[in-house]
Amino acid sequence: MDLSYDPALDAFRKEIRQFIADILPADIQARQRTKAANNAYVPDLLKWMGILNEHGRAVPHWPVEYGGCDWTPQQLFVFNEELYAADAPEFDWGGTHMLGPVIYTFGSQYLKDRFLPMIRKGATMWAQGFSEPGSGSDLASLRTAAELVGGKYVVNGQKIWTSGAAHADWGFFLVRTDKTVKPQRGISFLIIKMDTPGITVRQIPQINGEAHLCEVFLDNVEVPADQLVGEPGMGWTYAKFLLEHERTTSSFIYWSKRELDRAKEIAKGEMRGGRRIADDPAFRARFARAEADLLALEWSVLRVLAHEETEFPEAAAASVLKVRGSELQQEITMLQVDALGAKALRYYEPGWDEPVASSEWPDYVAGRTTIALINRAATIYGGSKQIQKNILAKLAFGI
Amino acid sequence: MDFAKSDIQTMLLESAERLLSPSAHIEYWREQRHTELGFEEARWAQFAGLGWLALPVPEEAGGLGGTLEDIALLNIALGRALAIEPYASTAVLAAHILDGAADREQGRALLGEIISGTLCIALAHQEPSADPLSHAAATLATRSGDGFTLSGAKMMVLDAGSASKLIVSARIEGEEGTGLFLVDADAAGVCARAYPLIDGTRAADIDFTDAALPASAMLAGGNAGKTLLEEAIARADIAQMAQAVGSMEACLKICGDYVKERKQFGVAIGSFQAIQHIMADMFIAAHQARSMLYHAIANSRRSPEERTAALSAARIVIGEAGQLVSRNGIQVHGGYGLTDEYAISHHFRRLMALEKQYGDLYAHTERFGRHVLA
Repeated sequence: MDLSYDPALDAFRKEIRQFIADILPADIQARQRTKAANNAYVPDLLKWMGILNEHGRAVPHWPVEYGGCDWTPQQLFVFNEELYAADAPEFDWGGTHMLGPVIYTFGSQYLKDRFLPMIRKGATMWAQGFSEPGSGSDLASLRTAAELVGGKYVVNGQKIWTSGAAHADWGFFLVRTDKTVKPQRGISFLIIKMDTPGITVRQIPQINGEAHLCEVFLDNVEVPADQLVGEPGMGWTYAKFLLEHERTTSSFIYWSKRELDRAKEIAKGEMRGGRRIADDPAFRARFARAEADLLALEWSVLRVLAHEETEFPEAAAASVLKVRGSELQQEITMLQVDALGAKALRYYEPGWDEPVASSEWPDYVAGRTTIALINRAATIYGGSKQIQKNILAKLAFGI
Repeated sequence: MDFAKSDIQTMLLESAERLLSPSAHIEYWREQRHTELGFEEARWAQFAGLGWLALPVPEEAGGLGGTLEDIALLNIALGRALAIEPYASTAVLAAHILDGAADREQGRALLGEIISGTLCIALAHQEPSADPLSHAAATLATRSGDGFTLSGAKMMVLDAGSASKLIVSARIEGEEGTGLFLVDADAAGVCARAYPLIDGTRAADIDFTDAALPASAMLAGGNAGKTLLEEAIARADIAQMAQAVGSMEACLKICGDYVKERKQFGVAIGSFQAIQHIMADMFIAAHQARSMLYHAIANSRRSPEERTAALSAARIVIGEAGQLVSRNGIQVHGGYGLTDEYAISHHFRRLMALEKQYGDLYAHTERFGRHVLA
């Protein structure tokens, strides 16, 4: 064990920082920095993917043959960290980090040829259709059915919490193709074009004024059979694969580092009673704790990336990232809100326009509460915190 | 950055596994706490025989030149086995000061005694009501003739029980920085009031009343003395945090076994979701604690400012984690968790002691908060 920082990685970081500064359009960066919305502006995101793709760095984590960069896990960490630090739009993770790896690992040549370039170039947003009204934490109970009729799958059912479905041209869905077997065995992974007749998307008005999450109704939707990824009945396995493949993503470490910096900016900028919030001992102690916890999370991520051997299964170490990462996201958004005090109560219409700033209302105000409100979802999606703890206890202790 | 253990590290951990058999440590602890030293000299000699006391000492000073990673891994094993020998104070802290002593010959001779297991040295630095993170001292050393006279009061000198010599921090009258003086524990003018701590280790309050010291007693002075003290405590911090991580990991094992054995309502209590979630919380805290130990080690070779910030951040995460793990550890044991018979109560006491030495959670939170929000 030698925990020294690698000087070559510092050089790589410098190179990446310069690379991003050279190619990230200023208007896209400004919108990303000051947006009063949780997600990036879709046209910006797609354009940014296209720019990265021109430089061969849209999907650096993929195998080289599909457009990856053959970087070490530590280099990928630095790349992502620098993207967030520079206020570049976030990836459409559904495409780049979920569907992409499933296709290049399990998909047919046809699917690889057709969809991998689309994802790489940022040609479209992807909707992820997993959860259903009756199947949240108990995802394996999902009921949306796909029946093979004359070379096509006919899909009927309903999905919910489908992020960004209103802006997505394509989606990937977990559907039940066999009702006669054990629930996990009867699920398949199906790619569906969102403008197929029979699909209705309804946006769900959210706690923060946005309507990013959607319900998707599927009524006799006909899907070409060759859009089923891999083998029928293997959808559950593929979904688990993508979660394991992206074990460190759920930590949101890069996002949290960027947002903690913003919390710092707010705490230093806001005055109350003649004193900076940053000089309030109670706030400072809470901030110190969050920053220390985030440093620990960063090392926990590095340990998983390096596949450190411990006496516990690696999956248990990965679960830590999801639980602690989501808790820290929430704590950091609340540090921002609490540093703003009553100013955090002002409602901003969700959007990406530059906020009208003044000395009383600096441009860091808009968006903080918009994001803090919807961030309560961090401990719910992708397996609620309670489900994660069940899994963790089983993995680590066999209970 | 390499997380895999080297051959030497693997050998070190195997030797620790052999000597510090987990099944025996509670019995050992219980016997030793009624003895004068609190530990067995024969076992300390085994520490020496295995090269553990030479590990932190540089090769040119006759040691094994182990890295901080090596030292941390050994201390994780010590913590896991609830070892209460004065490893951090003698082999890590005092050894570092002696290695940096102005009189190289003198320092090396004493290091030889430490390595052979014949000499334990305690640091007498903390003073009543002083800032626990300060490297300055109010104890006063006045030049007199060829030497010094030393006067002042030191409080809770850790591992004083087994130390035949002390390293005493003092302000040298009319000079900047911190003087570090080597003083015989039984010298004239030195009055110690010894007491045990809750974890079985031995501390003492020590008064110095015009204690006469030869010129050679000064190991370091001025800003060099202050820096040396700071570095030495930083290394002891790593060793102690590693012991805390080891203790927490032992708690995970102990509690994981217990909740599978203990039955209520006809089933193992580990089958209850409430217990599972407590165990998950304990696992997360202990895992994050080890991560933070790594952060502190990685930053120990950077600038003093980065090292200090990383140490305080690590003290926060590890201090909080130690409380969460040991408190919940007692909770899942029910009443048995409060008994002397069950190991969890020993880990609780040890983790509490480790959290409060060399600056407690509050002191480190305050220091780190000021650093990040400067």
